[in-house]
Amino acid sequence: MAKIKRFITSPRGTMVTFVLAVALLLFSSVGGARAALAYYSDTYVSRVQMYNIGVTLEERNGEEDSWKSVSWRNYDSNRSDGTWDESRGQLLTGIKGAKEELKIGKEYTEELRVHNTGEINQYVRVNVYRYWIDKDGNKLRNLSPDLIRLHLANIGTDWLVDEEASTPERTVLYYTKLLEKDATTSLFADSLTIDGMVATKVTQTSSTNEAGLTTITTTYDYDGTQFCVEAKVDAVQEHNAQDAIWSAWGRRVTVNDGSLSLDR
Amino acid sequence: MKKKNIILAALAVSLTVSAGVGTAWSYFTTYAEASGGYTLNLGDKTTVEEEFSSWTKHVAITSREDSEPVYVRARAFCGSDYQLVYSGSAKWSPNSDGYYYYSDILNGGEKTEVLDIKIENIPVDEDLKDGDNFNVVVIYETTPVRYRADGTPYADWTATLNTGTVEGGA
Repeated sequence: MAKIKRFITSPRGTMVTFVLAVALLLFSSVGGARAALAYYSDTYVSRVQMYNIGVTLEERNGEEDSWKSVSWRNYDSNRSDGTWDESRGQLLTGIKGAKEELKIGKEYTEELRVHNTGEINQYVRVNVYRYWIDKDGNKLRNLSPDLIRLHLANIGTDWLVDEEASTPERTVLYYTKLLEKDATTSLFADSLTIDGMVATKVTQTSSTNEAGLTTITTTYDYDGTQFCVEAKVDAVQEHNAQDAIWSAWGRRVTVNDGSLSLDR
Repeated sequence: MKKKNIILAALAVSLTVSAGVGTAWSYFTTYAEASGGYTLNLGDKTTVEEEFSSWTKHVAITSREDSEPVYVRARAFCGSDYQLVYSGSAKWSPNSDGYYYYSDILNGGEKTEVLDIKIENIPVDEDLKDGDNFNVVVIYETTPVRYRADGTPYADWTATLNTGTVEGGA
């Protein structure tokens, strides 16, 4: 016993103990690393699968019977570069005949919905914008978005309007249900009408010449302007949806048993 | 020493923020967007053409190429000594307000068929004196074609323009 005590307290004993401790530490680290590698390797496979999120905006209008995919953005992990399959199309192209003038006051069929084209379930929202632009593409803020009457559908049931985030130009809609893989939402819009009021808004300018004759010129405020309807669909993962929506969209929501509601 | 503490504090804050950002980015999101629209062509430029022969005014209204589709109505006024008799194309039909309404939509670049307005009770030659004259004034109005929700066209002759303010200039 005395020999052991003498050996431990000696510098040689201290060195041996230290080497032993380092060896034990190294072995335990390697073991842990190997365990971690095996664990993360399994998880990595499942995470790749989850990463395939995708969403598509679909439209049906005019005399068409079938739906068309207008815009989409789908993650494709099978691609060698792991990038997005995405496309941005144009709305309203089939709302009327190619040579037909748009008829003010007529209610055109314009149906819009969202399609989950990813591999995971998701929650979605849609930002709908209505505005007027001039021939150079500049937004005309003095013209009324209300005269672009995009009729929203299924409001209060499948879709909720976020009144706090909405403005005359923008309407924010939340789909209340979980949108499963390959499923489509109910319609969030079903028709479009340009209000006849656009043909009554005029500006008059008067000018008087040297002879004292006054000429009054009347111009239509909406003549030559273009109305625009824009829809932006956002999708977020189902897992941990409340935090995900707060983080990604900045909106507090409650998700209860697959049903989404907006917090006040 | 103080400087060292500040650097350490800044490092701690940036690490904390970085950790938070990492969490925010860990959710799977995506989006899709599209837009579309059409340009409106409003306003019309129309002119009236009158020919006079055999005590009859032959009236037609022409719309300029870039005009929007309109409905047209016309009538004439004269002194009480004369009487006006309307005839011509069957597309012109009378209404209780005294106007004759053209049944077709007048599209840009088109011209109405002729409305004949005959002046009757003309004084005989021996009653005419040098310098006598008479006036028959033709007026016409147009209103843009409007559409009901089902696409049926109609004319709103009671529509008034919202002029807002008048901008003046000499």
